[in-house]
Amino acid sequence: MTHSLHRKGTVNDLKNDYVIIAMLAAGINDKSVYADAKQRQLRVGKIMKNNNPTNLLNEAGWRLTSIVSGCFSDIYDVKNVLKTIKKEDLGISIVVSGLISEIKDLCQEIGLKMHTVNLSLGEFGKKSILPSEKILEITTMCGHHCVSSQSIEYFVEQIKKGKISLDKAAEKLTAPCICGIFNTNRAKQVLNELIE
Amino acid sequence: MINLKIKEDRCIGCGQCVIVCPVQAIKLVDNKAVIDQDLCVECSVCLRSANCPSNAIKREKLRMPRLVRNPFSDVISTHKLTGIPGRGTEEMKTNDVTNRIRHNEIGFSIEIGRPGKGARLGVVEQFTIPLTAIGVEFEKESPLTALLADDKGHIQNDLKNEKVLSAIIEFKVPYEKTIEILDIIKKLDKELDTVFSVGIISRIADNGEIPVMDLLNEKNFSIRPNAKINVGLGRA
Repeated sequence: MTHSLHRKGTVNDLKNDYVIIAMLAAGINDKSVYADAKQRQLRVGKIMKNNNPTNLLNEAGWRLTSIVSGCFSDIYDVKNVLKTIKKEDLGISIVVSGLISEIKDLCQEIGLKMHTVNLSLGEFGKKSILPSEKILEITTMCGHHCVSSQSIEYFVEQIKKGKISLDKAAEKLTAPCICGIFNTNRAKQVLNELIE
Repeated sequence: MINLKIKEDRCIGCGQCVIVCPVQAIKLVDNKAVIDQDLCVECSVCLRSANCPSNAIKREKLRMPRLVRNPFSDVISTHKLTGIPGRGTEEMKTNDVTNRIRHNEIGFSIEIGRPGKGARLGVVEQFTIPLTAIGVEFEKESPLTALLADDKGHIQNDLKNEKVLSAIIEFKVPYEKTIEILDIIKKLDKELDTVFSVGIISRIADNGEIPVMDLLNEKNFSIRPNAKINVGLGRA
């Protein structure tokens, strides 16, 4: 459901942008096999909620889909989420999206053995049709690409004219991303760079 | 063929739907919003996010072949094959439990139309035909795999002109075939008339190394510093 792989930005930009996804495997460890599977996954959602997510799939979504997902700006919060899930031994598959080097260090620190990696090779083909890198830094934070490039241009102009605040514009850009992985804090930073 | 529509008598021309449309399919004509039905990918973002003040945007029943646009574009549309919302599968997210990608295998996700430009389904054949010739194992639960018409990698004829927000080709190969796939990517990088993004899935070795890195470096691919990592907390 979430496409958190192809988020754009430099290493420095990405230091404050992490996504956590908790997913049940259909027919293997979901509610069709274990009666308490959904409860354990909901517990992951609560743990994420208690650790300062920048954004989070809404709680109704936790129940309706096979995924619980959220976004974090501070790696220390990511660490606390993983430590708690490990300690409670919830048995749910967890994927962390973010800087490889940071996640690797984090896993070593808390004693997790990384299992599988999904690397991004970036974009190919007719790249001349793409908007600017800065715009892509915002649009790629919604993995399903529900945030349009012209909405960013629109809000940049509105901020410049004083018709909307930076916070409100970032909040409005976040709305189409219903998976809760759009990092509102980072959107604010990029908008700030764009208005300069 | 019935789909997303804007009721002209209700539209007040505020342009909110024009702003939110991810594929720029909505324009204001004579102060009324009009959806270009050829460009529209049926993602429903206008319906959910434009906050239309006059409730002018309506979704009516979609029929084939246009219906196929919806699961490849609308985040809350659940495809009957995957059982999960969106256009992908569980892929590596549950690999610690499913073991879909094993130690001697490499998984690929080639997403045509990403980021944000969309693509006609016919374009997919430019990949699926050569990939089929190599003998890749397409992911059985992928919605895209279900659109293949034959064992040559052709897309069903009536669907080729349908536009989607992105179409993900998911497959895996034995490690030793990885170079052949990378060569196809290099070739289509120069030929494709739209954009595509590439993801590569690899198991992580016991010593923490990622075996496919050497091959990617050998072929001069740049690897993004960020990735998705399954941290091995799942249990069957």
